Amino acid sequence: MIGLELSWLLRNRLTWLAILLTTLSPLAGLTVYRPLFSNSESSYVTTMQGMYVANPALAAGVLGAVIFALLTVWSLDRIRRGGMEALTHAAASPLTMAAARLGALFLVSALAQAFTMLAWLPWTVSRLGVIFDQESYLFQYLVFMYGSIPLAVLFAAAVYQMIGRADLSLSLFAAFATLSLTVWRGNWQLCWLNPCVWTVSDDFSNYRILWSAAYMRGTWLAALTGFWMFSCLCVRRYGKGAIGSLLCNIRRIYQPLFAAALLVCAVVLYVGQPFLDHSSPEINYDFLFPQEYLETVTCSGRYAQVRPDPKTGRVYGRACFQLHSTLAQEQNVRFLINPGYEITSVQASGKEIPFMVESEQEMNEKAFVVTLPADPDMELAIEYGGYPREWNLASDSQGALEISNVYMSLENDCLSPSPYDIGYQGETLPGVMDLILPGHMTPVLFGAGTTRLLQENGDGTKTWRMEQEGYHMIVYAGDYIRQEIPVETAGIIVHFYYSRRHEPIMEALDAAEMVRETIEFCTEHIGPLSFYGDGVFNLIERRSDGGGYAGDGASIANELDFTMQNLSNNAKGGSFAQVTIHELVHQWWGLGNMFDPMDMDSAWSAEGLTCYTTYRMVKELYGQREAKTSFVDAWQEAVDDYYKSFYVRHPEYLSALPEKYQKQIAGSLRWIRQYNEMPLKIRKAEELVGGQEAMDEILAGLFGRELNPEYPYLTYEEFLEACHLTEEDLNLE
Amino acid sequence: MQIEISNLSMTYPSGKTALEDMSLQMKSPSLIGLLGPNGAGKSTLMKLLVAALLPTEGKILVDGLPLERQEQTFKARLGYLPQSFGLFDELTVWQFLDYMAALKKIPHSREAIARALGRTNLEDQQKARIRTLSGGQRQRVGIAQAILGNPELLIFDEPTVGLDPEERISFRNLFSQIAQERLVLLSTHIIEDIQSVCNQLLVIHEGQIRFSGVPGELIAMAEGYVGVFRERDPRQEAGLQITSRIHTAEGVICRAVAKNLPDFAKRVEPTLEDAYLYLISREVMS
Repeated sequence: MIGLELSWLLRNRLTWLAILLTTLSPLAGLTVYRPLFSNSESSYVTTMQGMYVANPALAAGVLGAVIFALLTVWSLDRIRRGGMEALTHAAASPLTMAAARLGALFLVSALAQAFTMLAWLPWTVSRLGVIFDQESYLFQYLVFMYGSIPLAVLFAAAVYQMIGRADLSLSLFAAFATLSLTVWRGNWQLCWLNPCVWTVSDDFSNYRILWSAAYMRGTWLAALTGFWMFSCLCVRRYGKGAIGSLLCNIRRIYQPLFAAALLVCAVVLYVGQPFLDHSSPEINYDFLFPQEYLETVTCSGRYAQVRPDPKTGRVYGRACFQLHSTLAQEQNVRFLINPGYEITSVQASGKEIPFMVESEQEMNEKAFVVTLPADPDMELAIEYGGYPREWNLASDSQGALEISNVYMSLENDCLSPSPYDIGYQGETLPGVMDLILPGHMTPVLFGAGTTRLLQENGDGTKTWRMEQEGYHMIVYAGDYIRQEIPVETAGIIVHFYYSRRHEPIMEALDAAEMVRETIEFCTEHIGPLSFYGDGVFNLIERRSDGGGYAGDGASIANELDFTMQNLSNNAKGGSFAQVTIHELVHQWWGLGNMFDPMDMDSAWSAEGLTCYTTYRMVKELYGQREAKTSFVDAWQEAVDDYYKSFYVRHPEYLSALPEKYQKQIAGSLRWIRQYNEMPLKIRKAEELVGGQEAMDEILAGLFGRELNPEYPYLTYEEFLEACHLTEEDLNLE
Repeated sequence: MQIEISNLSMTYPSGKTALEDMSLQMKSPSLIGLLGPNGAGKSTLMKLLVAALLPTEGKILVDGLPLERQEQTFKARLGYLPQSFGLFDELTVWQFLDYMAALKKIPHSREAIARALGRTNLEDQQKARIRTLSGGQRQRVGIAQAILGNPELLIFDEPTVGLDPEERISFRNLFSQIAQERLVLLSTHIIEDIQSVCNQLLVIHEGQIRFSGVPGELIAMAEGYVGVFRERDPRQEAGLQITSRIHTAEGVICRAVAKNLPDFAKRVEPTLEDAYLYLISREVMS
C-alpha cells in the first residue's frame, strides 16, 4: 500500500519540485541561515565542518521541513478535494490509506534526503579536504537535516486529518514552526525545527551534540506520532465530520491507547533527558565552595581509577581518599560529583558505609554525604559511574563533555568525585589517577603534572598513570600529536598538542615556529606567563566548546582559532602566521582574569592589546612595511569608515531601530572599536609615551601588576594612568 | 452473494430522513435496477451498501454476516462507481487502474486491467493521462475501475451519465453480461437502460421501496391507466400525468397516465416509463 501511494506521489511533478527544492536548501546554510556560533564579529568564522556541513544541514532541516509540510497538506487535500476518496475508500480502509500516505511521504522525504546528501557530497569533500569525515557528514545530515522533516510531515498530516482544511493546517504548521524558531529557540528540547547546535568540531568528534539533537528529535517523534495516531481517529468515515468519525474510530481501542502510550513516552523522554543536570538557575556558590574546611578530617592522598566507555559515553571509576580523623566518633563529610553519575558503593577501609545523595544540584555538581566511621585513619573508596551531564544553564551550547572513540573531555568532577570541605593534611595533596583509554588515544593532562603509560591491556586498551597535586585533574584524550618546541628566551619547552587531523594545516603554516617566536617575543616584551610551571608549558588544542583558558603550566587553544576561516580572517591580521600569532598572544592578553568578561560592550577588551602586540611582532618578524599594510593602514581605514558611519554620527537613530537591528549594528560597530580603534589608540599612546620600548615597559608593568582580588581586571583607566595620558590624548578624530 | 437489508433507516445529521425502515433481499446472479426521483434515497442506499455511510437503524447482512463486521473483506468483493468521483489526473489510464488494482489487492492485475480496458473500450487511451480525457472517457475509466478483478458485487450509481447513445448501449450490454453470474445494482434515471437489461426493479420514493419485482410486473400494474389523445384544449390535461407530447401533422398527440383515464383518451399498452410515472404519480396523489 505504501509503495502504491509512493508511486502515485512520484508521478507528480510537485513531488519532484519538493525534492529538488529540498536538495537545494543547504544553500541557505552557506548564505542566509548560519546558526552556528561565529568566532569572529567581523566575518562569519566557524569550523570547516560547521561551515560546510552543519550549517547547510541545519538550514536544509528548516527548509526541508517547510517544503514537506506543504507537500503533505497539498497531497492530502488534493485527494479529498478531487473526490478521489469516493473510489479509494470503497476499496480500502481510510485509516489504512492515511497510514500508507504518511509512509509514502516519509519515503519521498528519505529520497530527498538521499539526493541532498549525494548532491552535496563532492562539493563538501572538495571544501573540507583532509577534514572530511564520512561518518560525520552522514550523521550531521541525518540528525540536523532529516530529523526535522518527518516531524513536519507528521504534524501537517495530523492537523489536516483533524481539521480537514488546507489553509488552516498550513497556518497551524507555520505557527508551530515559528514557535520553534522564536519562543523555543533557546530551549534545546522544544526547538524541534532548529536544534540548539552551537558548534561542531573538525578535529575531534561530535557524538554528544548529535545524540542530544537526535534525542530531542526522538522525543518530538514520539509526541507527534502519538498526535498523528490520535488525529487518525478523526479521519473522516461514513460521511461523518471530525467528531462523528472520532466516535466511530475510537471503538478500536488499541489506537487511542497506542497514541496515549506514545505521548506518555514523549513526556518521559522530555523529563528524563540524560544530557543536562538540574542545577537551580540561581547560582549558589556556597554549594561548591565551603566557607571553611572541617577541622576534624584531613586528606593525605588521592587515587582514582577511571574507565571511560567510548561506546556509551559513560564513565566508570573508583576513587580512593586517605582520610585522617581526629574525632573519635562518626561524622559526615560531603563530596561533589557530576550530576549524571550514580554512587554505587562507599567503603571505609574495606567496609561498606552509608551515604546519602542530596537532591539539590548547583553549577553542574551534585553532592553526597558520607558518614565516616570513628576510625582515626581510613581509606575511603567510592565507586561511581554514569553518563556525565552538562550544566543546564548552557543548554544551548552542549557538546563539551564529549566521550567517544575519537575524543574525550574529562574535567574535574567528571573524572572523579572531590571532597567539598576536607583540607589537605600537608601543604599539598598527591593525586594519582590511572586512566584506561582505547589503545589509539593519547591523554593530555592539563597543567603541571606527569603522564606515563602504565600498561597495555589485553583488550586493546592502555592504562595511563597521571600524577598531579590536588583533588582535581583535567584530561583530554584523542589522537593527539605532541610537538616539542623549545623556547630559549622563556626557558621553557612548549608541548604543543593538536589533533592528527589538523596536522596538514599546522604544518602548512609552520605552527611550531610561530608558537616559538610568539612566546619568545611576548615573554621578552611583556613578561613570562605565570603558569610556565616547571619549564614545560602545554599548549593543548581542544574541541571547540566556548573558548580557551589557561592554568598552571598549560593553556588551551580552541580549535576554532585554527580553522581555515579564522586563519584567513583579515581582521586578525590576514595571513596564517599573523592569525596564529594573534591567538597565541591571547595567552597574555585575554585569558584568566585580564579583562572583565561582563563588560562586553566596551571598546577596551582583550582584542586591543592583542592586536597591538600582534602588530608589533609582525613588525619585528616581517618588517615595518608588512606591519603597516596589514595592521595600521587596515585599522585606519576601518576607523575612518567607522567615524563616517551614519549611526555613529546619529546614535539617536540607532536607538530608534528595533532591538534586533540595534544589536546587529551595535555589534558590528563594537567590533570595529575593539579590533581597530583600540589598537590604533594604543599605537598612538606608544608614540606619546616615547616609543616601543617605553610602551613595552608599561605593558610589562600592567601584565605583572599586583591584582586586586575584588576586581582583578585590567581597566582602560589603569592603562591610561600607566601611560600618564587622558582619554582625550588618544582621541583619533 | 446474498445481501439482506432489514429495517434500514438513515437520517442525516441535518435531520433529513433519506431511508426509512427499508427491507430488501438481493441475490446473485441478478441485475437490479434502481429507480426513483431525485432525492428518493437511491445514492444513500448505495453508500450504505458500500459502507461509505453507517445506517441510523437496521442491518445489512452480507452472506448472513453484518456488513460492519466484514467491511474490509466485503470491499475486496465489491466494485463501486459512485455518482460523482475524482481521478488522479496525473496518472495514465493504465497507471490509475494499476493503482486501483493494487488497492483492491487484485491478483494478476495486468490481465485484469487489460480485460477491464477491453470491456470499457479504453485500450486506445490506456497510455493517455487522465487529465486529457473527455467526460465520457473519464466515466468509462470509472466503470473500468469498478469492474476490475471481476468483483462479486457491482454497484453503479448513474454509470451512463456523459456517455453517448452508442456507448450507453454497449455498457448496458456489459452490465447484462456481468450480471449473468454476479450481483449488479444499477441506479439510473434512464428507464430504457433498466427496461433493456434489468431482471429486477426497485422503485424508491421518499426513502421507501414502492415497488420490488420484475419490470413486467410494474408494467402490468399500469395496464389500463395509460392512454393517448389529441390535444384540443389544455384543460383536457387536468388530473393527467402527461408522459409525452408528440407534434404531428394532425396536431399534438399526448400520452398520459392517470388512475381514471378520461373517455377521450385511447388506452394503450404501457411502457416501463409509463408504469414508473404511474406509480410515482399515484404515490404523490395518495
